[in-house]
Amino acid sequence: MDKILKGNFQPAKPPVVEKPTEDLTSRFEAEALKRVGGSIAFVSKKKFIFDPSTAKKGGEDAADNR
Amino acid sequence: MPPTIAEPDGRSPHGGTLGRQIAASLESITLHKVREVGFRNAEANAAAIRRGKNILALQQVLSNGDDALVIAAGPSLHRQNPAQLIQEHRSRATLVVAESSMSWCFRNGIRPDLVVTLDPHPTRITRWFGDPDMDLEKLKADDYFARQDLDPHFQAKELARNRELVEMVNHHARGIPIAIASCASEAVVRRAEQAGMDLYWWNPMYDDYELQDSLTCKIHAMNGLPCINAGGNVGAACWVVAEAILRKRRVGLVGVDFGYYADTPYSKTQYYPEIVAMVGEDRLDEVFVWIDNPHAGKKYYTDPAYLWYRDSFLEMAAQAECETWNCTDGGILFGPNIRWASLQEFLKSGTQSKYVA
Repeated sequence: MDKILKGNFQPAKPPVVEKPTEDLTSRFEAEALKRVGGSIAFVSKKKFIFDPSTAKKGGEDAADNR
Repeated sequence: MPPTIAEPDGRSPHGGTLGRQIAASLESITLHKVREVGFRNAEANAAAIRRGKNILALQQVLSNGDDALVIAAGPSLHRQNPAQLIQEHRSRATLVVAESSMSWCFRNGIRPDLVVTLDPHPTRITRWFGDPDMDLEKLKADDYFARQDLDPHFQAKELARNRELVEMVNHHARGIPIAIASCASEAVVRRAEQAGMDLYWWNPMYDDYELQDSLTCKIHAMNGLPCINAGGNVGAACWVVAEAILRKRRVGLVGVDFGYYADTPYSKTQYYPEIVAMVGEDRLDEVFVWIDNPHAGKKYYTDPAYLWYRDSFLEMAAQAECETWNCTDGGILFGPNIRWASLQEFLKSGTQSKYVA
């Protein structure tokens, strides 16, 4: 990038680039990602069971297409 | 009745704000945590899955009776100790037991009709079955069982009690059906087989199966097993199995607290070391959420994971065809589609014995 964009003067003080500060929630999520969380996922769907194999065999689409 | 979020007596006025924020993120956080290990374990379990049965076969094995009683390992199980009532009326309901309360059942002379296990943790879950390879070094590496409030029996004399549990499970678990998730660790699979349990396999849902590149679909294509929405934890999974696989019309719950008693120190909660590492000891009141339970007439508190479990459970209960009776007599699981009742009321109001076809 600095091969394309070059300044045409030398600033008196070197510029300070502000890094975005991570908010607390993001930091939590990053940590929690590693160590906290449930035993397994929860999927927000209406059906409790997904079983296309059973459906292909001509039976009910698993136990839960009631 | 929606829960009332209460400020803890004499505690910080922040009242779990951060805890609620974290709970709202746990769906994606948990998926990230389990997706790799879940897939890896499902691959590693391929041979064991071929040796076992499909969970749908349980519909024939445990079809008698309209009622099921889920026994999970929340702290109320030990505080209320419903063992005698369950023993007296055990013919009234199919007993669907989380692996974490199997030891409590055996110690109290209760034989589960079905055990459910799902957490892919490589070492901890085996402890609920008695770990034949446990030694002092392993104990030192993980203080979870010495610290947890799920089963106080596990908090002391850990090596001796582990040996007792190995014997107890070897003696009593033979022939008991276990609904085992394909993501279970190799150690749990080996232990369940070694104890002579009858393995019925299923996949937990990981993500929306209608999405392109869904992990749920990928694992289903690999092993052909039905995928079940497990609700984030083994207690909820027991309830889903009772409702959707066994097709029970009424499902009672004991030990499904999703929270802690007010006199439990924060240090005895499930994720205490992790939470302290994240926020420090002086900000704990921002993470733990206090809830008034008007049915029990008491305040309980909860952590982000349990709060997420509760919200997920309420969402699933709204879709269920069964009646859900919460007979836990404590905790934070109440709201629409959950009937709060005593265990006695649930068991005595059933009409059909599970032993009658």
